[in-house]
Amino acid sequence: MEKLILLCLKCILLCSIVEAVFEDQVGKFDWRQQYVGKVRFAHFDTHMQSSKKVLLATENNVFASLNTRTGELLWRHVDMTGPEGNIDALLQYGQDAVLMVGNGRQLRSWDINVGGLNWEIVLDSGSFQSACLVGQQDFVKHVAVLKKTVISLHYLSNGHQKWVENLPESETVDYQAVYSGGNGEVYALGVVPHSHIAIVAYSLEDGEIIKQISVEAPWLSNIQASCAVIGQGMLTCVDSAAGSLYTLDLHEQSQMTQIPLQSLGLEVTPGFQPVLVSTQPNPARPPLSEFFLQLGPEHHLLLQLSDGQIVTLRDFKPAMLVAFATPGEKTVAAVMSPKNKTACSLNLFSAESGRRLLDTTLIFNLDPNGGKPEKLHVQAFLKKDDSVGYRVMVQTEDHMLTFIQQPGRVMWTRDEALSDVVTMEMVDLPLTGTQAELEGEFGKKADGLLSMLLKRLSSQVILLQAWIAHLWKMFYDARKPRSQVKNDVTIETLSRDEFNLQKMMVMVTASGKLFGIDSKTGSIVWRHYLDNIPSNAAFKLMVQRTTAHFPHPPQCTLLIKDKDTGLATLHVFNPIFGRKSHVTPPALPQPILQSLMLPLMDQDYAKVLLLVDDQYKVSAFPSTKNVLQQLQEMASSIFFYLVDSNQGRLSGYRLRTDLSTELIWEVVMPTEVQKIVSIKGKRPNEHVHSQGRVMGDRSVLYKYLNPNLLAVVTESTDLHQERSFIGILLIDGVTGRIIHEAVQRRTRGPVHVVHSENWVVYEYWSTKSRRNEFSVIELYEGMELYNSTVFSSLDRPHAPQVLQQSYIFPSSISAMEATLTEKGITSRHLLVGLPSGGILSLPKMFLDPRRPEIVTEQSREENLIPYAPELLIRTEWFINYNQTVSRVRGIYTAPSGLESTCLVVAYGLDIYQTRVYPSKQFDVLKDDYDYMLISSVLFALFFATMISKRLAEVKLLNRAWR
Amino acid sequence: MASPGGQGGGGALSTRGGSGARRMKWALELSLGNARSRADRQGGQGDVVYPIGFSEKPVPDTSIQETDKNLVEKRCWDVALGPLKQIPMNLFIMYMSGNTISIFPIMMVCMMAWRPIQALMSMSATFKLLESSSQQWLQGLVYLVGNLLGSALAIYKCQSMGLLPTHSSDWLAFIGPPQRMEIMGGGMVL
Repeated sequence: MEKLILLCLKCILLCSIVEAVFEDQVGKFDWRQQYVGKVRFAHFDTHMQSSKKVLLATENNVFASLNTRTGELLWRHVDMTGPEGNIDALLQYGQDAVLMVGNGRQLRSWDINVGGLNWEIVLDSGSFQSACLVGQQDFVKHVAVLKKTVISLHYLSNGHQKWVENLPESETVDYQAVYSGGNGEVYALGVVPHSHIAIVAYSLEDGEIIKQISVEAPWLSNIQASCAVIGQGMLTCVDSAAGSLYTLDLHEQSQMTQIPLQSLGLEVTPGFQPVLVSTQPNPARPPLSEFFLQLGPEHHLLLQLSDGQIVTLRDFKPAMLVAFATPGEKTVAAVMSPKNKTACSLNLFSAESGRRLLDTTLIFNLDPNGGKPEKLHVQAFLKKDDSVGYRVMVQTEDHMLTFIQQPGRVMWTRDEALSDVVTMEMVDLPLTGTQAELEGEFGKKADGLLSMLLKRLSSQVILLQAWIAHLWKMFYDARKPRSQVKNDVTIETLSRDEFNLQKMMVMVTASGKLFGIDSKTGSIVWRHYLDNIPSNAAFKLMVQRTTAHFPHPPQCTLLIKDKDTGLATLHVFNPIFGRKSHVTPPALPQPILQSLMLPLMDQDYAKVLLLVDDQYKVSAFPSTKNVLQQLQEMASSIFFYLVDSNQGRLSGYRLRTDLSTELIWEVVMPTEVQKIVSIKGKRPNEHVHSQGRVMGDRSVLYKYLNPNLLAVVTESTDLHQERSFIGILLIDGVTGRIIHEAVQRRTRGPVHVVHSENWVVYEYWSTKSRRNEFSVIELYEGMELYNSTVFSSLDRPHAPQVLQQSYIFPSSISAMEATLTEKGITSRHLLVGLPSGGILSLPKMFLDPRRPEIVTEQSREENLIPYAPELLIRTEWFINYNQTVSRVRGIYTAPSGLESTCLVVAYGLDIYQTRVYPSKQFDVLKDDYDYMLISSVLFALFFATMISKRLAEVKLLNRAWR
Repeated sequence: MASPGGQGGGGALSTRGGSGARRMKWALELSLGNARSRADRQGGQGDVVYPIGFSEKPVPDTSIQETDKNLVEKRCWDVALGPLKQIPMNLFIMYMSGNTISIFPIMMVCMMAWRPIQALMSMSATFKLLESSSQQWLQGLVYLVGNLLGSALAIYKCQSMGLLPTHSSDWLAFIGPPQRMEIMGGGMVL
């Protein structure tokens, strides 16, 4: 046994490939961008005048602090995904930020300066309603948490519970809000929908119920949506149906006072639910008596409540967004109103009087490729002369944050939509203008010998010019220190580099915003916001034409499908510039099931896209005559498959010449037993260089390289740990023939699967042994090829040999992908995203079902590593060293122009781009290659040869004379 | 040519030295130059100066026809059997160098392969050498067979070292990817 282990170690040492980067390579080929997601709560740190922090709590369960000068993250805490980590409320007082997490499960306090946790307490889970800070005598010491049935008070300093009380009549009353005005009482506000409001006042000291009021309010259904506490404890509600405001003094038992809006000369925009916006600058004091009433999408009013009377201070129409801010003693209101089509103007108004403050206009330019403003966060501050200055953070529909300073200078922007990338592609950059010109010359049709020659000469002169200019620039740049050389990426400077290592990353985000990112620097080259994207849309991005067909522009097509209606739209755009293409996509009146990219091209070199609708009819895009003719010719060899996971049905179709389809096979998985989780085909741009594997006796084991093979993963519907299982099915997509079937009992998903070449690797959780396991299936044709020239699924009489092996993996994984290179000569690695934030480059060599248990001469000859059940995570396999990538959801790999190099993008909450070299850089000279030494040696040798030749001649001559 | 003269001179000197020692204890020569020695030599062998290489004894006639013929035959057989004689040596080298692929075994193999090939290329020159022999054709054949055996041995060595592309794996790199007959695509219903 010891010997075996020793041998193992030796083998591992022998085949270890150093992946880690050197210290000076950090950040040279890779970059990381950290995001927080769509902002739910934002608070500017106002407890210090010079503070430059903004606290953000987002829908991605991230709590972070940004530097307001630069927009960079100061610190960030990523909580669990899903409802367990959902941030319900964010309260800030002084240096403490109190966070309610997981539907009232955890109450946490953070130090906002360093982002450290002050304390955390776990509450009884469930039904969180509201939370507020409770102060007394200008000092905030407590935080009140209201849940469906209980109210509790906690100390702000350590989180300990001061008291907890059950709410009276909590079965019928829906308690929704908690309020404290700093007078030693805590109010729980509840409503019995369409009946009455219930108000319970608790004593701050011991939680005793001071009073309990019930007020008739048959028109009210939701307190949080339509009520606010204003002034000295006046609960103010708005009723859109009656068009009136109601006020109620919380301190005394009384009826609600109705104030019809008409009496104020106001009217609600039909179909709009009016909203009240109040502000409580200090939790230890009652809220201001001024408040905003929104009556329409672009209609706001600043009102004042004094002695039960409502006074209109100012009418803002049009005004899209309003916000309060309190820089010192006085509160100001910022109002955003549209200026013209491309810009909005912001102004500050005194909250007390409604007067406009002088010199406070700020212009916000709307991005034509962005969304409309959605939320306004104002950071107001007092200048030296006691006038009010302010900066605003505008949140737009496309989840973008823009921080603006007066008079409209954008200090920074953050594209938080990138925290939710759905799908992406990498597109080659175009050649430089000059190269493109040269290419264009050959693209055009010949018109006479002489003119062609002239054209040739002129284009070569241009090339020479460009080369000299390039040399000059290099020389010029070389003299400057490296830090000063700026490589700004603009559309003009975008061009393919020598080895095609720089590409355009086209990213599609869930919000419907498309991005074009330069893969070298990570700078966003273009953004395009598609409005009217349904929230549950499915996206499929396809590259129809690459940059290789100058002068035709490259073309990408995004299929957007609304999952509710099934209707789909196509967005056709240029992936380099982000502009919408002038090619009009076809209207799709029928719900679309799937799309299929054919390797056929039309006369403009655009690949043909087939769209399958719910009648199983096919439409082609582009659908020119040429394309339809080609389709008719090819129809008999075009197949497609559809997987309906709800019905557990896999079906294969064949195209007919009239673009209708016929069902040729069908496999049904009983949905009551198992459901289809994922299906993986091979990537169309994958190349396999070697058709077989060389055995120890130098014979060949040929790989079963079926391009039509599909790996179908199923999970059992029964999740009991004794009975759950996962199944893997290898099925031929053309014939429906099941090549292999495996069921792993007592295992559970989520299953991550990679299908490439002749192997399928998948990862699952074994409930039996309570560990994560990797399993690999490899398919071989055997020692002879059936047909080495063509592969047809319809003519494959022999079933392949199937080998399988499993391994223990010490960590769960969150995403997996295989490396991809230009010609497929380089050995493959698996890129595994771990929940810890590491991205592991695991050599495929370790996942090889031919790894022998007993080492023989032949297996050693084959360089097979002896089987060991454990797959170790070696730290030098982490390709992202200390650059943690949070919540990796997907890994995208693309080949580069260098065979050794594969480009990798990991996306999730963060985006990380790097290069990997699975077989090391065999085709690149090292960075520290000594050009000087080599060239000086060469020159020295050359001169030595010349001199010795001369000397030899002289000597020969002398000898001849003798 | 020079050796008989040298011997003769040597002999003359020794006789002179010997006789001089015997005749007198010392002598004073008053005549000029080398007259004494010349007189000495002339006194012993007459007054004719023989040319260098002249021997007074009759030289025996070595060109005996029968033995000459045999020698030619023998020499020719030597030439013809040369390659065959090297084979045991080669076998020994082969055994010693082993089957690992490193610089020395490769050099050995190259030498072993190159020598017979060189010899086969210069067959005509060898035939000219064997022209005088009566069994020219047989000897030529033996020479040829020997060289062929030598190269066969080299090939065998290459084979056992795994240098010959005799396995299917050696041709694996030339197999291109098969052409796809069907176009297939699709996926989960979006």
